[in-house]
Amino acid sequence: MNKNLKYFIVFFIVILSFFAIEMIVLSSRGVDVNDKRLFVSKIGLPDLAVSTEAKYVRHRSISDIFSIFNENPVSVSYFVTTFTYAPSTNLNNTPNIIEEK
Amino acid sequence: MFNLFLFEYALSSLKRRGAKNIFIFVIFFILIFLLSSIFFISNSMKYELSQTVDALPDITIQKLEAGREQNIDIDRVDKLSEIPGVSEVSPRVWGYYYFKNAGANFVVVGVDRFSPNYKKSIQKVVDKFDSVIFDNNDTMIVGKGVKDILEKNYYDKYFNFIKPNGDLKKIKIAGTFKGSTVLESNDIILLSNENAREIFGMKDDEVTDITLRVPNPKEVSKIASKITIMYPDCRVITKNDLEISYNNIFDYKSGIFLSLFIVALFTFFIIIYDKSSGLSSDEKREIGVQKAVGWRIGDILLQKFYEAGILSGMAFVLSITFSIFYVYILNAPILRSVFTGYSILKPAFKLPFVVDLQTIMLIFFATVPLYIAATIVPSWFAATLDADEVIR
Repeated sequence: MNKNLKYFIVFFIVILSFFAIEMIVLSSRGVDVNDKRLFVSKIGLPDLAVSTEAKYVRHRSISDIFSIFNENPVSVSYFVTTFTYAPSTNLNNTPNIIEEK
Repeated sequence: MFNLFLFEYALSSLKRRGAKNIFIFVIFFILIFLLSSIFFISNSMKYELSQTVDALPDITIQKLEAGREQNIDIDRVDKLSEIPGVSEVSPRVWGYYYFKNAGANFVVVGVDRFSPNYKKSIQKVVDKFDSVIFDNNDTMIVGKGVKDILEKNYYDKYFNFIKPNGDLKKIKIAGTFKGSTVLESNDIILLSNENAREIFGMKDDEVTDITLRVPNPKEVSKIASKITIMYPDCRVITKNDLEISYNNIFDYKSGIFLSLFIVALFTFFIIIYDKSSGLSSDEKREIGVQKAVGWRIGDILLQKFYEAGILSGMAFVLSITFSIFYVYILNAPILRSVFTGYSILKPAFKLPFVVDLQTIMLIFFATVPLYIAATIVPSWFAATLDADEVIR
């Protein structure tokens, strides 16, 4: 076994042990999902409070298309997170098509 | 057929061209680190959303007028509760309140304080709950982000809302939502329906939207279509619609993701191009000498495979390890701004730890085998030539 191989093995073991420690620490970090579920069931509003800059980003799942083009029909949205979060699929869920009785 | 001697030779060969290989290693590391960090954050957010989707109401009804959401008449609640299969109809009062001093948007949610078990269940998700203050009508429970912003503006015990007519409405703070719910509750202010109406200047017979609980999931779509017929001016959003919306929260074909992928792929293909455009004269001479001293083509290719495998494999393992550390332990400094944007109310970015093997495999197969192939192919061209021709 030459010197380079020894260094390589040591390097590899260090990375793997770092990875293993990381996995153990993160897996043991429990989060109470019941609290979250209880909160959401009481409030009843969807989506995360990660970005609050625009209402159609904060509650994107229940926003309408006019909240995006609120200022002007031709103005392009200027909030940065609109480049991160896609518009909701519910935007086009408008009551213009009514089922036949 | 692992060959230890060739492996050792490959390590020595990597060391001999140290500067160039370190450069490739660093670029490879940054590339995979960036891609995996973004994927880890987006996957965790999707996971967080999927954990609470079951707790949402089965049907949400909004009234649209000229494409804009409008308040609904409260009389509709009685008619909706008559629909067979509906167990609970909840009229909601909620909206956004802009706090000018801080430039932050709060979400003000009204609740029926007299609903059964309300106080008991709300206590479970609230820290520092003051029962005495809570029993008074003019009280609110706030998210951690709201509490911090209010404290910075010297509102540590109460807050003065400005009503539409300019008058002030003083509301005391009865508690803060638990830290474990911060991703959901950070910007929420929970108070009574009466106070929410007063703050928004809404009439008593109006509500923002109506939610329905339907115990049988098979009946949801039928009830939703019934409501659409009953109230053609209403938009009906089912839990299934919300789930679909959650699944499509990130569009990987546009926006920030597309820009990132283009930059990443461009950088990666520069490395690939450099590798596949041919070997340097030094490398060719090395292959020639190896052939001259009796190496077979297979040995040369195996050595090149080890070289490329060590370099790309190590860069991959190291970058995945560091990106997990960066995202889940350091809470993704800098990159988190991509997801929070201009928001003043930024929650503690403690995302749930989810390792998506599919994503890791995707990144692996898009980078490591390509790099190995780009190293082996030109070496194979050189190795198939005669030794004297290569050396010359």
